[in-house]
Amino acid sequence: MARSVWKGPFVDGYLLNKADAARASGRNEIIRIWSRRSTILPQFVGLTFGVYNGHKFLPVQVTENMVGHKFGEFSPTRTFSGHAADRKAKRG
Amino acid sequence: MAQTRILLGVIGRPHGVRGLVRVVSYADDPASLVAYGPLSDDKGRRLRLAWRGDGIAAVTLLSDAGPVAVADRDAAAALVNTRLYVERDRLPPPDEDEYYVTDLIGLAAEDEAGRPLGRIRAVHDYGAGVSLEIAADGAPPLLVPFTRAAVPSVDLAAGHVRVHPPRVLAATEDAPTDAATVSLAEDAA
Repeated sequence: MARSVWKGPFVDGYLLNKADAARASGRNEIIRIWSRRSTILPQFVGLTFGVYNGHKFLPVQVTENMVGHKFGEFSPTRTFSGHAADRKAKRG
Repeated sequence: MAQTRILLGVIGRPHGVRGLVRVVSYADDPASLVAYGPLSDDKGRRLRLAWRGDGIAAVTLLSDAGPVAVADRDAAAALVNTRLYVERDRLPPPDEDEYYVTDLIGLAAEDEAGRPLGRIRAVHDYGAGVSLEIAADGAPPLLVPFTRAAVPSVDLAAGHVRVHPPRVLAATEDAPTDAATVSLAEDAA
């Protein structure tokens, strides 16, 4: 069931403080978070979070397309990386 | 530490009685498995595939005596679990700032001072940017985003990448026990 619109998106409050601090520092930083349940807000765009998947903190580089999704969606807890085969990785 | 042969797929169970087989393709675009030309297996045999349906292919064994089509179910059953490889140099060159995952895995990682950090064990991409997992003996794996800031240089010929590990900002010390909800109205304001 969808969340009521009047409530607004859910986000753990401390993420906002950390995002502000990371943005103000202007450095190359990863914000480690455990809050997989938090919604990705527009003010997170451009930042990199390390989202815990129960095992390690997977880097999540937030882009505009990810706004509205939850952090946990980008840090799977059950992973099968598959075969490298001819897959390519683009450096961002 | 580039491999000379790349595993691209595996032959599965026979399909029908005319020698067709199911093929599991590991290629980025599954249909491109046949585009690389003849494939080889663990025994050194060369094979050519031709798609006959979704994931179903006809196999031709290539030998010095000439091509031999696999034409019956028994011959197809003999190919079950055959791994299909392609030579690395038959893959097309990647675009600028693009790398084959198989080329990256195994590269040595060094920090900016040239100190070893480990070797690239895995390349992750779950829709939020590519990241490299660097493993060293006796240390937890280091995960770094595959960006120009974090990985300033990749030298495939020398077999190493230069890594500038991002500073970690842990969100534990001031993590509250309760959650805040950001109202859309406040956000807009």
